[in-house]
Amino acid sequence: MNASKTLAAMAILSVSATAGAAGNHGNGHHTANSGEAGKASEASRTVTVEMYDNYYEPESISVKPGETVRFVVENKGNLVHEFNIGTPGMHEAHQKEMQMMVEHGVIQGGTLNHDMMNMEMGNGHSMKHDDPNSVLLEPGQREEIVWTFSGANAIEFACNVPGHYQAGMYGDIEINKGD
Amino acid sequence: MNRRLVAGFLFSLLPALVTAGEYDLTVDRVDIDTGEFVKQGIGYNGASPGPVLRFKEGETVRINVTNNLDEVTSIHWHGLILPFEQDGVPGISFPGIRPGDTFTYEFPIVQAGTYWFHSHSGFQEPDGAYGAIVIEPEGREPFRYDREYVIQLTDKHPHSGDRIMRNLKMMPDYYNRQQQTVGEFFSDASEQGLLTTLRDRMAWGNMRMMKADVEDLQGFTGLINGKGPEQNWTGLFEAGERIRLRFINSSAMTYFDVRIPGLNMTVVQADGNNVQPVTVDEFRIGVAETYDVIVRPKDAEAYTIFAESMGRSGYARATLAPENGMEAPVPALREPSRLTMADMGGAHDRAHGDMAGMNHGDGDNSMPSDMSGMDHSGMAGMDHGAMARDQSAEGDPFYAKGSGLLPEAANGGKFLSYADLKAQKPLYENRAPTREIELRLTGNMERYTWSINGVKYEDADPIRLQYGERVRFKFVNETMMTHPMHLHGMWSILDVGAGEWNPVKHTVSVQPGTTVFMETEVDATGQWAFHCHLSYHAAAGMFRKVIVEGGPEGSGA
Repeated sequence: MNASKTLAAMAILSVSATAGAAGNHGNGHHTANSGEAGKASEASRTVTVEMYDNYYEPESISVKPGETVRFVVENKGNLVHEFNIGTPGMHEAHQKEMQMMVEHGVIQGGTLNHDMMNMEMGNGHSMKHDDPNSVLLEPGQREEIVWTFSGANAIEFACNVPGHYQAGMYGDIEINKGD
Repeated sequence: MNRRLVAGFLFSLLPALVTAGEYDLTVDRVDIDTGEFVKQGIGYNGASPGPVLRFKEGETVRINVTNNLDEVTSIHWHGLILPFEQDGVPGISFPGIRPGDTFTYEFPIVQAGTYWFHSHSGFQEPDGAYGAIVIEPEGREPFRYDREYVIQLTDKHPHSGDRIMRNLKMMPDYYNRQQQTVGEFFSDASEQGLLTTLRDRMAWGNMRMMKADVEDLQGFTGLINGKGPEQNWTGLFEAGERIRLRFINSSAMTYFDVRIPGLNMTVVQADGNNVQPVTVDEFRIGVAETYDVIVRPKDAEAYTIFAESMGRSGYARATLAPENGMEAPVPALREPSRLTMADMGGAHDRAHGDMAGMNHGDGDNSMPSDMSGMDHSGMAGMDHGAMARDQSAEGDPFYAKGSGLLPEAANGGKFLSYADLKAQKPLYENRAPTREIELRLTGNMERYTWSINGVKYEDADPIRLQYGERVRFKFVNETMMTHPMHLHGMWSILDVGAGEWNPVKHTVSVQPGTTVFMETEVDATGQWAFHCHLSYHAAAGMFRKVIVEGGPEGSGA
């Protein structure tokens, strides 16, 4: 069992903890996965991603290995959506946490219950959704992510609100190793 | 915009399609081979089921229907919003199509999704007169898939519909093979005590219901796209693809519990309307309902689509596989569900008040005087099959608490509930209803009469609605059976407690012992049918005409 799965299993109540692993802050084991948070000053370009019910525009983004991209993500739908950069395995683990957020009433159709998100759930965990590889947005909201891609294949951006990924709300990060 | 001449380039995968816009359908006598028996029935263009009709939202379709039968026929476009004269119900929308005649339907397509069509004359539909409708949306779908299949279910019975109805009228348990036996009486008596067991049987006897009546029509072969379990309809895929399966239940009488062992299913549409996606292991599809799901088999293996009847008396089976001829194991049928006293709840409550809905016509309105003292918490013990289910009795608000019908996923996972259905995009503005209409679903099982508010169709006045109002319908199921209620011409907004996100359907199942609410924006002038979609219940009288008065052209029938 790899470390990120262990973390997901142990800290199932903590979105922060697991997604932190996904974002691999100071955790050398996973640097190869999806990349890491980047600095805006290093971004080579800005990519605008619009989120609708339930799909992205665009559905595919091409990057170079090591490239830092500034994403401007806007929710143009009527439901809560996520933009999360990771491997399919990371998304699958994160979906279990998002399911819990729905069951606890944190995500309700088009609204986020922020009080619930910030509630202390024991062991220092909460259902905050504050990891550098993702944003969770209510309709009309807009946020940025700066991400440096490692060059590993099989990276997707995905919405892990329950059912959305399965219905097809994901996009491919194509690693362009040429030019 | 006239797209009538657009050729079928979008639909090259579908041989049935000729052009979008203009269709010819013939209504024919056909042979139906289920793999278990061959019978004569009715089909379209020489086959049952008929072709998949592919429409495009925004176009106007013309459908020429030629009747090659020696009796009157009709086609109803189930779930489509259209002018009432095009709705295809003889005696309500139009006179019907006489033998040898061709009737041309023409109407605009104002919606998208998965629907179906069927005869609304006699028992032609259970005899095979049905087919599928797939409507492509004007914009993009709010989900993605690589390929799609229609999965159209039916319960093909060796007897003709007329013969079944005669037998049911003569002997309502004619097709019920799961009645309790003398042996069960003694085993129940030894476990629960003689008095309890006697009291149970007496209560059921007085209700004119038979405890095992989950299905009043057994002895069918389940078909998928016209193929029996041994004929094994197969849909091909490549590993990793997303497949959209358009499930349609075209059964006369049978609810199916559907699962695909090894795959979960993400429900994206119910009755043609997009819902917020919900991933499940199993779902129950009521008669006349449709559900669209997306599955993603990651391995190049065969998977069985297994649709077990709600009463476990039969099943339909098909396969998804990378190659024809591959098969996966076919699960065994689970133990039959047995109704509990909870399913009798509605009837039970009425027993202390107005019995008109339930009972009896024989002047014997007396209930055992100790009925009210019966302990509901002990009811579960009456029914071995329901014991395990009772653990999760709070699981689904659309079943009576302690119901023997409460579904459970075979793998212990997630079973879809109506409560999970939320509109993807509300179709109507949410507003308070202008009035409420109570419809008690009533019947006398022992005489095989089915009715609404205790009155059969032939004796009932039409329900009159005013154009522009929003009516809240209150269904109170006072019978022991599940009734899939279908209002023609206007949407049924099912109250799942989600306010503006309540899903929009065309068929709403009402479980025994429950009360279900739906609201309708009365936005279609004319006269419409409103009925239980179980073929033999509708024919027995659980049916109403609805008249919508007023409207833009003031042409309310």
